[in-house]
Amino acid sequence: MIQENIANSSPRRSNYGKKNSQIKKIAGILRIILHDYRGQIGSAFIIVMVVCAIFSPWVAPFDPYELDILNRFASPSLTHLLGTDYLGRDILSRIIYGSRVAAMVSFGSVCFSAIIGVILGVVGGYKEGSLIDYGIILVFDIVRSFPQLILALAMVAVMGPSMRNLILALAFTAFPFYGRLARAETLSVREENYVKAAKALGATNTQIIFKHIIPNTLSPVIVTGGMDLATMIMYEASLSFLGLGVSPPTASWGIMLKNGLTYIHASFWMIIWPAIAIAIAMIGFSLFAESLRIALNPKERKLHG
Amino acid sequence: MLKYIIKRFLWIVPTVLGVLILLFSLTYFLPGDPASVMLGPRATPELIKDLNHRLHLDQPVYARLVYYILGVLRGDLGESVWSKHKVSSLIANALPYTITLAVCSMGLAVLVGIFLGVFATIYKESIIDHLVTVISLVGVAVPDFVAACLLLLIFAVHLNLFPVLGAGEAGNIADEIHHLILPVISLAIGWIGYLSRLTRETMLEVIDSDYIRVAKAFGMPAKHIHYKYALKNTVIPTITVIGLGIGKLLGGAVLVEIIFNRPGIGKLVVDAVYARDLPVVQGGILMATLLFVLANLIADISYAYIDPRIQYE
Repeated sequence: MIQENIANSSPRRSNYGKKNSQIKKIAGILRIILHDYRGQIGSAFIIVMVVCAIFSPWVAPFDPYELDILNRFASPSLTHLLGTDYLGRDILSRIIYGSRVAAMVSFGSVCFSAIIGVILGVVGGYKEGSLIDYGIILVFDIVRSFPQLILALAMVAVMGPSMRNLILALAFTAFPFYGRLARAETLSVREENYVKAAKALGATNTQIIFKHIIPNTLSPVIVTGGMDLATMIMYEASLSFLGLGVSPPTASWGIMLKNGLTYIHASFWMIIWPAIAIAIAMIGFSLFAESLRIALNPKERKLHG
Repeated sequence: MLKYIIKRFLWIVPTVLGVLILLFSLTYFLPGDPASVMLGPRATPELIKDLNHRLHLDQPVYARLVYYILGVLRGDLGESVWSKHKVSSLIANALPYTITLAVCSMGLAVLVGIFLGVFATIYKESIIDHLVTVISLVGVAVPDFVAACLLLLIFAVHLNLFPVLGAGEAGNIADEIHHLILPVISLAIGWIGYLSRLTRETMLEVIDSDYIRVAKAFGMPAKHIHYKYALKNTVIPTITVIGLGIGKLLGGAVLVEIIFNRPGIGKLVVDAVYARDLPVVQGGILMATLLFVLANLIADISYAYIDPRIQYE
C-alpha cells in the first residue's frame, strides 16, 4: 500500500519540479541563441517568413493570381517591386504566398514524421532485441535505403499531386531518421537509475514511457526537426519544380523557379527571385538549427565560442 | 572484422527484399487499372488484355509479387511500355552519365573542401577563417537545383561561356567535359561547404591533441606540423564521407540532371513518371536504391575498419 503510494506520487512530484526547471532551461537556451550571431540572423529570417506565411493576404501588395498580360516580364519597378512573370502576375506577392506553402508542407511533414518516428523508435528501444524491435529496425532500414527525393517523387506520382499527399510522402521518407534517434535515446535512458528506481517502485511500462522516456527523446528530436524544416522546404520546392508538388496556379517557390527556367531567355527576374527566396529560407533555417545545436550541446559551445 | 562484414551483408538481404516489396506495392496502389492508365483512353480491350497478360496483371497479387522478385533476381526488369526497350538497357545507357556526374562532383568537393578547411584552420580567427565559415554555411544551405538555375542563368545564358543543355556529343571528350562543368559545380557546392566545415572541426581537434603539442614543443615548424601530421589524421573521417556522398549524389542529382537535360538515371525516372511508364520507374528507382545501399555498405565497412569500436555495437 505504502509502496503503491510512493510509486504513484513520486513521479508526479518530480515532474512538478521538472516543469519549472524545464521552462528555465528553455529560456536559457533561447538566451544563448539570441546572443549568437547565427541565431540572430536565423531567427530574423524565420520570423519574416512566418509572418509572410500567416499574414500573406495583408503583406502581399497584389493578388498573386491576378493576370496582367500587358505587363508581362516587367522588370522591378515601384509598382511591382520584384517585377512580373510570364502572365504579368506580381512576383513579390507570389513569393509571399509561396512561403505559406513552404511553411505548411515543411512543418506538417516534420511533425508527422517525428510523431511516427518517435512512437516506433520508443517501442523498438523499449523492447530491445525482441522480434518487434527487429521488425521496426528493418522497416527503418528499408525506407532509408531509398534516396529520399526519389522515394517521395514516386509516392506523390502514385498518390497524385496535392499538398496533403506531398506532406504524407515527405513524412514517410523522413520518419526512420527520427525513429533511430528516438530508439538510441530510449536505449540509454532505459539504463538510467531513475528509470530503474521507478520500475522498482512498481511504475508500469506506459508510465515509464510517457513520463521518462518520451520527454528525454524530445530534445534531440526537436534539434533534428529544426534542421529538417530546411530540408523539407527544399524537397517541397524540388517536387513542385518537377510538377509533382502543389499544382499550379498555386504559388510555390518550386513552380516559380520552374517557370523561370522555362522563360530563362525572356526574363532575368523570373528565375532570380524564387532562387533567392529558397536560398534565404534555407540559410535562415540552417543558421537557426546550427545555433540551436550549439546551445543544446555545451561541448560545441566551447568550440564555437 | 569479418564477422561484422558478414553480419552487415546478411542484413542487406531482408532490406533489399523489403525495397522490392515496397516498389512493387507502389504499382499496386496506383489508382485505376494500370493497363488503361499506361495505354491511355483510346486502348482497345484486346490491347489491355494483352498488356495485362504480359505484365502478369491478370494474376493474384502474391503471384505478381513473386514474378516481380524472380524477374529482378534474373536481371530482368521488364520493358518500357512506350518504347519497348529493355529497362535494363535503358538503365545501362543512363548510368554512366549519372556516375560520371556524381564521381566528378565528389572529387571536386573533396579537393576544394579539404583545402578550404585546412586553410581556415591554419589562419584560424582571421578573415580567411570567417570567409570559409560563410562559404560553408551558404554552400550547405543553398540547394543544388537553385545553384544550378543560377549558374545556368549567369554562365550559360548571359555570359555564354558554357552550353545550356545536354551532355555533349558522345565520344567527344572535350565537349563532354565542357557540358559537365556547370552540373558538377552545382552539385559540388553543398559538399564543399560540408567538407570544409568537417575538415576544419576535425583539424582543430587534432591540433589540440598531445602529440601535436609535443611536436610544437620540439620546435617543429608550424607548416610541417600542419601538413605532415595534422592533415593525415584529419583526412580519415573525410574519406569515410566520400562513399556516402557519392551514393547520395547518385540518387540526389535528379533535378540537376533535369535542369541541364543530362540523360542520367534521375531524368530517366522522372520522364518515366510523367509518361506513366511503370517498369522504367521501378527499374530506375531500384537501380538508384541499390547503388545507395552499396555506397552505405562500403562507407560502413570502411568506417568500421578505421574505428574498430563500431563493430561491437
